[in-house]
Amino acid sequence: MAIASSKSLTLLGVILRVCVVIGVIALATWGVHLIRDTLDLQIRPDNEQQVHKAIMVGIVAYVGLLAMPFVPGAEIGIALLAAFGAAIAPLIYVCTVAAMMLAFTIGRFMPISTIERLFRVLRLVRAAELVGRAAPLSGNERLSMLLDRQSKRTVSIAVRYRYVAMALAVNMPGNSIIGGGGGIMIVAGMSGVFTPLATFLTVMIAVSPVPLAVLFLSLTF
Amino acid sequence: MTQILQVAAIAAATLGTGAATLSVMNEDVPDFAVPEGDWATTGALDGRTFQIYGEDPGSGAVLEDDIVFRNGTFQSTDCENYCNFGWSDYQTKTIDGVIHFTSTAICPDAPHTVVWYGRVTGDEVVIDGTWTTRRWYWTNQIEVHATGSVAPSVDVAG
Repeated sequence: MAIASSKSLTLLGVILRVCVVIGVIALATWGVHLIRDTLDLQIRPDNEQQVHKAIMVGIVAYVGLLAMPFVPGAEIGIALLAAFGAAIAPLIYVCTVAAMMLAFTIGRFMPISTIERLFRVLRLVRAAELVGRAAPLSGNERLSMLLDRQSKRTVSIAVRYRYVAMALAVNMPGNSIIGGGGGIMIVAGMSGVFTPLATFLTVMIAVSPVPLAVLFLSLTF
Repeated sequence: MTQILQVAAIAAATLGTGAATLSVMNEDVPDFAVPEGDWATTGALDGRTFQIYGEDPGSGAVLEDDIVFRNGTFQSTDCENYCNFGWSDYQTKTIDGVIHFTSTAICPDAPHTVVWYGRVTGDEVVIDGTWTTRRWYWTNQIEVHATGSVAPSVDVAG
């Protein structure tokens, strides 16, 4: 009886949580719609050049910031999607892939000491500490860094299915605790256990859900 | 050297795939479809200027413009405020006493293409058209619907 009650409570809890999540998403969507309507951003001949320049500056900042560990960059992409809707989704998708591959390339080919020094020069202390923590570890150990506080079995499975683990880690809400997309890709590059081609294909699939949903399902924020 | 080649390969793959993705995912928006017919360079509207008023149905923005015809060419004074389109050739055809004209203006400094299609009946004109901007990452189009009437000639540069 007690077990049945506990199960029904759990089920109720799950239903409640799902309802709360749906409610939060609905509220956030409504809020962003409100902001968008308030901004009333129309692309007209008299402002098209300024909009173009703003988008160019925005995507350069987006790629640069997204590639850095512990630096919030995704918000720029979300802001661009909110402002311009589905029309900007392909550009955001391509820039996200570019940022992830930039971070991976930095991790894979730049000497670890240089990366750490670079982050210290940029005052990115947490990023430098992340790289410093990864430096003495083996490739697989660096990969397991991305699965902080997970069981040995989980780490073992993640090492075996490392590309799936990478895709999940990049998309995991709250991954900013372990460095965000940029940090994950730098450590993945440093680990040496990911090949560039397979990583590229993984990233292309991993970062596609939001832009593709915006584009093909006509979702707007 | 191998590392440099690998970095170059990653960069090339990322940029190449990105460009391909953008070209596939970005749907082109065609310019205004001008009806086919026996269009000819006649200069039938040379020396005339029309004051037109209209709006962009997408944004509700108001259009106030003078369109000028001279020496077989056409110019919108309002469009000149945003880009130095200059004078563009125009063509005409006459159906039941209505002079139909079309002109395509291309901005030399930015990827703007403006297609005009108008019908002139006596001193009145009805205009349809599109202002299309094709950036490498998207295509934006503004529709134009306007009506107007003959105005005194205005001074335009060029």
